[in-house]
Amino acid sequence: MKVVLRIALGIIAAIGGFVDIGDLVFNTQAGAQFGYTLMWAVPIGVVGIGVYAEMSGRVAAVTKRPVFDVIRMRMGLSSGLVVLVASLFVNLLTLSAEIGGVAIVLQLFFDAPFTLFALLGALGLITIIWFTPFEGIERLFGYGGLTLFVFVAAALHEQPDWHAVGHGVVPEAPSSTLYWYFAVGLIAAALMPYEVYFYSSGGVEEGWTPKDLLVNRLNAIVGYGIGGVLSLGLMVAAAQLFEPAGVEPDHLGTVALLAQIPYGETGLVLALLGMLFAIGGAAVDASFAAAYSIAQFAGWEWGKYRRPSGAPRFTCAWLLFFALGLAILMTGIDPLDLTEYSVVLSVVALPLTYLPVLLIARDRTFMGDYANGQIARVLGWLYFVILVVVALAAIPLLLATNAGGG
Amino acid sequence: MRRLLVLGAFCVVIAGCGPLSRSELTRGVETLSAVAAESQLVADGVAQDRTRSTYARVQARTLADDAAHEAEKLADATVEPGFEKQRDRAVVLAGRLDDTVGSLETYPGDERVGANVHDELMSIADDLDRLTQRLGQAG
Repeated sequence: MKVVLRIALGIIAAIGGFVDIGDLVFNTQAGAQFGYTLMWAVPIGVVGIGVYAEMSGRVAAVTKRPVFDVIRMRMGLSSGLVVLVASLFVNLLTLSAEIGGVAIVLQLFFDAPFTLFALLGALGLITIIWFTPFEGIERLFGYGGLTLFVFVAAALHEQPDWHAVGHGVVPEAPSSTLYWYFAVGLIAAALMPYEVYFYSSGGVEEGWTPKDLLVNRLNAIVGYGIGGVLSLGLMVAAAQLFEPAGVEPDHLGTVALLAQIPYGETGLVLALLGMLFAIGGAAVDASFAAAYSIAQFAGWEWGKYRRPSGAPRFTCAWLLFFALGLAILMTGIDPLDLTEYSVVLSVVALPLTYLPVLLIARDRTFMGDYANGQIARVLGWLYFVILVVVALAAIPLLLATNAGGG
Repeated sequence: MRRLLVLGAFCVVIAGCGPLSRSELTRGVETLSAVAAESQLVADGVAQDRTRSTYARVQARTLADDAAHEAEKLADATVEPGFEKQRDRAVVLAGRLDDTVGSLETYPGDERVGANVHDELMSIADDLDRLTQRLGQAG
């Protein structure tokens, strides 16, 4: 029972990190435009984030060092600073997009001006973070986000063509640039760096030791596995309900239609609630990831388990990021545009984030008997090659496809 | 280097200001078709009382804005010679789409309005399909 409760960390990282506004939109658009043919990209992203989350959690449990600590130690001050600036920029865009996503869902529930709900949404999240312990935050957003399973139920309800689904697990060779833009976007959305910053720091927050490595492994497999199932559910449902109708889901509200069509108002409400919790959880992840990164890089006291007075600069950092994220939204920029740019730009930071984790996790001087085994070593390097390819392809594809506009 | 950058920027501006090509016009009409398709799903939810009125209202407003935005874009653009009629037709259909979806925003809880809007949207979608076909044949 205790182990089940502790898997919550993986579930919030998966629901509120893996399935965030970027995944909700990218997976639905991919299904609506390309049917089942991009399904293969989801497991690639899921296994990748699972491999690196497990490594970063293991490093945190054994050495008590979260990811950004490792980056600075392994890359030095100046290179580490480049990664810090890049990741903070992407985190800020992500946080802003997530606050915007929360505002859109609230608007769909209550119909009032977007800016009002952006403000209320940000204040609500700040209040929850301020008054709720770390474990409480995990459970609130992680378990609340489970209502997203209504999309998986919708996908099954529509009786997918399993033969076509089977073909979807193999990439199509002669495809358009837009197809590959979406493939890169889906893989990148799964591997957003803030997820491992949050995950490994969360492990330190929860006081993990080598005794918790089983929980870490289960978190990585179950948590991100659930995220992957949800992503596939969205894509399959969109392939069945949107592709034949010719719908191009360019709005977050459109995603909820996937649950409304088979289940009516109940499905709609479950979908919107799930989206609210998942996107809210991702906003918490992104704000904490930014604050963790700065605090760990600068050597400040950090952690939610400390009271705000015990880690004042860390507390100011996440509050400041909320304020900046809100300020960006108030310029009138569309949260979905922000999402798209944050996902694609984060790709460039992926190798810089994950290489130090890989190098430390395999280093026996640091990790002793807990260093990478054969499987982790092979998967780690394989995914590093994939990350480099994806990073090199992302910007040209963004420009060639007019940011997915075709 | 600086001259090259200025020249590059100039080329981008010139390219962006040219007349709307047939494929760009077709893309605009396809966007309208996608808005009509999504609006039909929203209208269907209203007609069958299977949605929340706040959701239907907000989503209808968003879709009507999309149609209005596309209408403005097409109306403001110059098109390649020979495609003026199709452009004008697209603007008219975009306006109809905006008005029709707009009535869903006004009556998001009225099942009868939902059914009427659904029927009208099917007719607009058919017209848009015919326009897309004409544009395809013109190439």
